[in-house]
Amino acid sequence: MTVEQISVTGRSGPPAASTARPAPAERPKISMTGRRHRAFYLFTAPWIIGFLLLTIVPMAYALWLSFTTYDGISPHWRYVGLGNYTELFSDPQTWNSLGRTGLFALTSVPLSIIAGLGLAVLVNRPIKARGLFRTLLYLPAVVPPVGVGLTFKALFDQNSGAANGVVTLFGLDALGWLADPYARYVLLMSVLWAAGNVMIISLAGLQDVPRELHEAARIDGASAWRTFRSITVPLLSPVLLFQTVTGVIASVQTIMPLLLSPDGTTAGVTALPQSNYLYMMHVFSQYFALGRYGYASALLWVLFVLILIVTGLIFKFTSGVVFYNVDPEAKK
Amino acid sequence: MHPRAGASLSRRRFLALSAAGAATGTASLSGCAMQVSSGVGGGGETVTMMAKPDDISPELIRQARKDIGVKIVTVRYDITKLIGMMTNGAPPDLVRGVGATDAPYFAARDVMEDLDPYFARSTVLKSGDLDPVNDLWRYDGRTQGRGPRYGMAKDFSQDSMFWYNTALFDKAGVGHPPETEPVTYEEWLENAKRLTRRRNGQTIVFGGSYNGVLTPNLLASLTAAAGGNLFSDDFSRVDFTTPEARKALNWYIEYGRAKVGPSIVQPDPNTWDGPTFQANRMAMSNSGYWLGGLINSDKKLAPLSRLAPAPVFEGGQRVSPCQAGTGLWMPKKAKNKDAAWRVFEWFFGEGPARARASGGWGIPTLKSLRPLMPAQEDYQKRVLKVQNAELKHFSVIAFTPYASVDSLYALFNQEAPAAMKGHLSVDALAGRLNSVMNEQLKRGKEQVG
Repeated sequence: MTVEQISVTGRSGPPAASTARPAPAERPKISMTGRRHRAFYLFTAPWIIGFLLLTIVPMAYALWLSFTTYDGISPHWRYVGLGNYTELFSDPQTWNSLGRTGLFALTSVPLSIIAGLGLAVLVNRPIKARGLFRTLLYLPAVVPPVGVGLTFKALFDQNSGAANGVVTLFGLDALGWLADPYARYVLLMSVLWAAGNVMIISLAGLQDVPRELHEAARIDGASAWRTFRSITVPLLSPVLLFQTVTGVIASVQTIMPLLLSPDGTTAGVTALPQSNYLYMMHVFSQYFALGRYGYASALLWVLFVLILIVTGLIFKFTSGVVFYNVDPEAKK
Repeated sequence: MHPRAGASLSRRRFLALSAAGAATGTASLSGCAMQVSSGVGGGGETVTMMAKPDDISPELIRQARKDIGVKIVTVRYDITKLIGMMTNGAPPDLVRGVGATDAPYFAARDVMEDLDPYFARSTVLKSGDLDPVNDLWRYDGRTQGRGPRYGMAKDFSQDSMFWYNTALFDKAGVGHPPETEPVTYEEWLENAKRLTRRRNGQTIVFGGSYNGVLTPNLLASLTAAAGGNLFSDDFSRVDFTTPEARKALNWYIEYGRAKVGPSIVQPDPNTWDGPTFQANRMAMSNSGYWLGGLINSDKKLAPLSRLAPAPVFEGGQRVSPCQAGTGLWMPKKAKNKDAAWRVFEWFFGEGPARARASGGWGIPTLKSLRPLMPAQEDYQKRVLKVQNAELKHFSVIAFTPYASVDSLYALFNQEAPAAMKGHLSVDALAGRLNSVMNEQLKRGKEQVG
């Protein structure tokens, strides 16, 4: 009910009664700034409450755990101070898995951005059945990772997989795709399988590039590659930056190697091929296979800090090359 | 300071309110969790059972409602979820577990209900009728197999035995293993090599699979077969460098290297032997009597399949342990213990137990149900004869309470592939396993107190 409605209702009684009543207390007026603040907080409240409940509380809990030897069930756990962090930095598995994860991010992120951008450029062209191609190319990205893992395991099984069916057709011996040294390539393929995600965002960015700029370049005699390099890519740079940052975070946190593992049990995580034993696999094995909640929480906190640092570095080193297509006067 | 009516919310106040909301939300979530196993629902009591889909079917759940008037709500078995529920103070009323390894682990952490008083007053589950395999669920604070009873096995097998496919033996020209006398492990591996068929780098027929129920129990059983113990007397350490444990480890690494069957370096995508054995692509499967449930249902496969005794090591002793004894236990903080016990009695001693016994999916854990084991067909009689003879060699191999079987299995998986690929000697592997497993056991011992 609005203030106006209340006022109308107040006037609707008999005049005598109306005059007998004491004058209603005047409601304090809310300034426009106050209203804006109230609206802002009301609209953001669900997110903030969710953020506190589902992010800050678990993070604080994990931070507390990281100073203990807690395993979730045993009665005599104790505080170890920074003991888990000290152990973590002297654990060769931490460094090895971190190195592999860095290499994986350095390979998978550029590859998926290049693949997704390439597909976006293709389906942005005026071709027949463009909508159908866009749908088909995006479709693998909506398959849940568990489904991708199961499909890839079936495709690349050494004894019954279709991949080796093709290999043996050429008279070659079947390969152990899910073991070293091939497992890393299967992992990369599973990441590229979801390049449709990058494609769809890049496509939106491409459609935002003003057509006049391309036409002007064509009149000036620029080649298609030059136009792409000098006009499309700079205008897409904020989109590419976004994809780089989210891609790096996703690749560091990936659990895809576990989904590709032939032994899907908790204890099977340590049997993964070495090349696919990434940082999150190390965290998973410490949490769930070894029951070291404290140590694994310390590993996660270190990862969190590393992600913050890496993200900051990406922003710092790309600040000069990302072109924001906004009115420079708008901020003033 | 009280905020003025109508004034805009300050950021500080807003964040404080949000935090209060979050705290209330946390409490509500916790409250929800606590309601999982609460008392009465619908037409009778409700019991929450954490189990795997194979443990109890929807039909059985409906049957429970009819038979005993209890509604069973199942929660899919997940150790992480179980720990979460126990931490919340709202555990399930019944939990599936592997007696051979879970009983000492959970009992030592004092989270299991002592079921001795329940057994004492039960008219369905009488102590004298319990098969000795149920002793896997006993733990006296130091040793498995003694002390209070914390659970019960639903059925069991002697898991070092193996099934073999006579057609694949005949095709490869390999003589059938005897059904009453054990082959040696060395002969078993030799046969497996001769039975394996490969083409273009692909394995068409696995000669034999020998992985036990879980590798740590398998290694403990193999060590016992070689005449030793994997664990120290107080279960606080493992030692893979003793001659017996080293012999056991060497055999298993040789098995992995030979690639005659599934292993951590050559996993079976089916994750268990059943489908591969049924497809005539596995000549020998290290599975106990329980695999007969699958075999008996396949009229083509059943007459071709034979069960053989657990192998022995040359110079070792004949042991044929149960490596699992899967069943149910009741958490100490279960909310609905009486109703849970009623389900327990029904599941282990009434309709479901009789159905399991007659289906051939394992040996019944009540002696009185033994006559129900399938023996109508000739092949069933033959298998039963082998199984009955093997029972004489049954033994309990105690497991450590200081580490979960998964943790030891994970550590084995971490170290063993290098040895199975020939990059590490068995002696070096034994040293590494001692180091990482004893570190885990040490941590566990500290926490158990």
